[in-house]
This record gives sequence, C-alpha cells and structure tokens, in this order.
Amino acid sequence: MTDLILQALYSGLLQGGSYALIALGLALVFGTTKVINLAHGELVLLAAYIAYTVESGLGVNPVLAIPAALVIVCISAVIMYFLVSMVKTDRELNSLILTYGLGVILTNAILLIWSADIRSTSSAWLQDAIVVGPLYSMRSEPMFFIVSVVLMGGLWWWLSRSWYGRAVRAVAGNRDAARLMGINPRRTELVSFVIAGILASFAGVAIFSYGVIQPSLGHVLTIKAFVITVLAGIGSIPGVLVGALLLGVAEALTVTLASSALQELVGMILFLLVLFVMPNGLFGRAGRRG
Amino acid sequence: MKRSLIAWIAILVVCIAVPVLLGHNNYIMSLFIAALVIGGIALAWALLGNLGGMVSFGHSAFFGVGAYVSALSTMEAGVPVMAGLLLGGVGAVVASLVMLPVLRLRGPYFALAILAYAHIFKIVATEWSSVTGGSGGLSGIPAFPRMLGIDLAGKSGSYLIILAILLVFILCYQAIRKSHYGIALRAMHDSEDATRVVGVNSTLLKAMMLFVSAFMTGVVGAFNVHYIGFLEPDYAFNGVWVTLPIIAAIFGGYRTIWGPVLGALTVYLVDQLVFKNLIPSGHQLILGGLLVVMIIFSPRGLVPVLFKSGRKHASA
Repeated sequence: MTDLILQALYSGLLQGGSYALIALGLALVFGTTKVINLAHGELVLLAAYIAYTVESGLGVNPVLAIPAALVIVCISAVIMYFLVSMVKTDRELNSLILTYGLGVILTNAILLIWSADIRSTSSAWLQDAIVVGPLYSMRSEPMFFIVSVVLMGGLWWWLSRSWYGRAVRAVAGNRDAARLMGINPRRTELVSFVIAGILASFAGVAIFSYGVIQPSLGHVLTIKAFVITVLAGIGSIPGVLVGALLLGVAEALTVTLASSALQELVGMILFLLVLFVMPNGLFGRAGRRG
Repeated sequence: MKRSLIAWIAILVVCIAVPVLLGHNNYIMSLFIAALVIGGIALAWALLGNLGGMVSFGHSAFFGVGAYVSALSTMEAGVPVMAGLLLGGVGAVVASLVMLPVLRLRGPYFALAILAYAHIFKIVATEWSSVTGGSGGLSGIPAFPRMLGIDLAGKSGSYLIILAILLVFILCYQAIRKSHYGIALRAMHDSEDATRVVGVNSTLLKAMMLFVSAFMTGVVGAFNVHYIGFLEPDYAFNGVWVTLPIIAAIFGGYRTIWGPVLGALTVYLVDQLVFKNLIPSGHQLILGGLLVVMIIFSPRGLVPVLFKSGRKHASA
C-alpha cells in the first residue's frame, strides 16, 4: 500500500510539471489582459495533435514536433490576441464569451482534421520504463518534467531580469502606470500571448508523449489550468508550480485510492474549497470577490 | 400597448401555424422542438446575464438535475408527468442552493465556479448508480399523457407543451423586468456599489435571479427527458446544453427577451438543416465562428439591430 501511494505521489508530481506550464500560460495572459483565455487548453491540445501528425506522418519521434508546434501554436495565440483586443464593450465578460467561442472553433477544427479517435504515441523510446528505486515511470515523464522545470526557470529569469518580462509584470500590476513609464501595454499583451503559446507547445507535446489525447481534452485542460491558478493565487510563479504539483498528486492519489472516474472531481472540489476558504489562493494577494 | 398586443397575436398565430402546416413532417417538427428546448435554456441563461449580470458556463447542471428529478419522481414515486416538470424546476433550484456561495465571486470566477458544479453533478449522476442508473442511464421514462383529446406525447403535442412553457417564461421575464426588482437590477447593472449604498440587497437579488434561471432551465430539462424518453449522465449534463444556448442568446441579443428564443430558432435550424449537411461532424465550428463574430462586431445581438424601435433604453 505504501508503495502504491509513493508511486502515486511520484506520478502525480511528474504530471504536475505539464500542468504548471499550461497554468502559467493562462496566468500570464490573465495578468496582462485580465482575460481568462478559455481556449488555452485547446492551444495545448493543438500542439499535442501536431506531435501526433509528425509521428504518424513522418515516422519520427514526436519530440521533434516541438518546432512545428511552436510555430503553429504561437501563430494561433497571436490571432487570439488580435481577436480578443477587438472586444470593445464590457470587456471582462465579452472576452470570456469570445474565448469560449474560440475554444469551440478549435475543438471542432481538431475534430474535423484528426477525427474523434483517441490517439497516443507509439514511440517505444518514449514509453521505456525508467526505474528510480521502487518508482516506475515512462521515459517521457521525467524527461518532460525536467523540461518544464527548465522552462519555468527560464520564465522566472525572463520575468525578473529582461526588459519585456519586467514590462509584463508592470502591465499586470498597473496598466496605466506602466503606460506612463513608456511601456506599450498592447505590445506587452501580445508578448504574453506568445509566451503562453510557447509554454502550451511544450506542454502539448509532453501530454501526447505520455498520455492519450482526444478532441474534448482541451476543455478539461483549460479547467485544470484555471483550477491551478485559483489554488496558487494570481501573480505567483512558485505558487503556480506548487498548485500544479498539488493537483497532479491529488489526482494520482484519487485514481490509486478511489477510482479513476473521480479523477476530475478532486480538482473541482479543491477549486471550490480554496475559493471558499482561502479566496486569495494559497500564495496570492489580489482579491477576486465582487 | 396596442402594438404589443398585435405583436403577441402575430407571434401566437405563427407559433400555432407551425404544427398545422408542418405537423405531418416528423423530422421538421423534432427540429422545432429541439430548437425551442435550446431557446428555453438560452432565455434562462440570458435572464441571468441580463438581469443578474452573471455569465454562466454551467447551465447544463440545471438542465441535467431537472431532467433527473422529473424522470425519477415520475418513475419511482408515480408523480404525474406534468407535475414532474415543475418538480424538475424545483430540483434545479435546490441544486442552485449549493451554488449560492459562488455569488460572492465576480466575472470569470463565477462563470468557472458554476462550470465546476456542472462537472461535479455529472460525476455524481454517473457514480451514484443505485439511484440514477449510472452511465447505463434510465429508460422507460413516462411520456406526456393525452389531455383534452390531444396526444401530447406526439410531435405536435410536445411542440405545444414546450411552446406554452416558453411563453409562460417570457411573461415571467417581462413581469420581473417591469417590477421594482427589475429597476433595482437595472441599477445594479450600472453600478452595483451605488445600488448597495441606497439599500438594495444586491446579493439577495442576484440569488433570486439565479433561482429563476435555474428553475426555468430545470423545467426545460424535465420537458426534454419526457419527450426523449431516455436519460444518461453524458447526455443530461452535456456541454451542448451550454454552448448552443450561449451562441443562440448572443446571436439573438441577450439583453432582449425575444432575442434568445429567436436566436435559438435561427441558429439551431440553420445548423441542423445547412451546416450539418456541409460538415457532418464538427459543424459547431461554424457556430463558434458565429459567436466570435457576434461578440466582436455586435455584442448586443441581432434583434436590437433589426428592430430599432427608437426606444433608447429597451434593455434592462
């Protein structure tokens, strides 16, 4: 039993790496534009399907799909930015409905192009067992976990050191003040969408390399990412990482101890619990009450 | 007043002409019924959005709960089907009670918290199989009875029921909008803080709008289950019951009363008769595109654009 729980903790942690990438993209875009991009999970899924196409079409390792995924997903993210920026009235709610519509478009486009069949990788190299003491995983899981940690480190460095990264934080903190300091908020918003696209590309390829994908998954990923940002509180990268790992572990433990049917329930319950008990998240400070 | 009376008579004539002219065509009638079901949810969704200022992505929760409550109460407790419809609405209101805490949240947080509830209800319906029949679903749900010599279980009869439900809802919506609650809600739309200052309990008003919206959706869900005669969690809590009503309401104009219903009729019929033939699977792609275009170019919908009656504050 202890072995099973340890194994669940380990698998959950590894899964949490990709969750963190997805949630960071969502949180970054929310920070600058104050828009919850409900089509964010679909961007991740798009990258996953590009990995599938590269593997099944060219017969190569799906990891090599990352450049193609980066290009296509970032272009999609930029298009999303321009559409969202066209919303003029009642921005908060209309942009929410707009991105919901974008999600419907992407889900159905994926359905049209790749059909409703469930896909997974056939690469034996990615699926090889890696044994660490009593713990098992596929090779792709620790590999992409390390990639996630590196990307998050890079993002942290970019946000705290580079000019644009600091501009993103400035716009997220106070848009008008940032504008007075000579920052172009619109360009900064565009940059945040592109970064979200980059993170989504890696997360999508990761999800395909160790799991199964289907068109309805995008919606589920958006919800998970939102749950994580609520757990973390807005504006905290370490918080997002902890929230993502927490969700990954909670899901894995539920599957091990109860049933896989309840896997989605645990995220939802965590989400509601945090909203009611600690409305500012585990690490955040911004209020979200009306 | 006279003008609105003429409009009502015209609408009634058109509504009754549909089964008289098309009643022999089962396919077309079933499309109309399905469109009105979507229209009912769209109306309830728009009421919450327009009067309560809340966007919900979880109306499938009310739809599913209404369907289950009505199906189970008629099957297990022998409640008459017509009473089951009301019970379905009441069940949805009870379900919305657990959502009351999320009323404190604003904007996106509210929208997504409601979505979380919809997911939880779906999982509960799947896992609580001793009552709900689990993922295998329920069958043999009683159909509508014969009343006054009309077989209400048939296409024309079902059409008349859902039509009557919708007309009652529309009258209720109008009554709420005209009442002093409606004035307070309109003021809340401009500035919730200012409205609270003058002594309006805004949270209570929002809760009441949530109840009304949940009740309407629950009744529509209950109607649908007796009309279809079969129920399973994936169907009852399907995301379609959120997506299509939102598109219909935005297309028609969610700040008007007729917009969501007319939007549902237009969007659903065109989708089924045209888009579905063009792209058999994934035809909602076009609907998603429609939603995006509407939000960007005409977020108030088409009804206000088409019927510019000169009234500046036609919307609540």
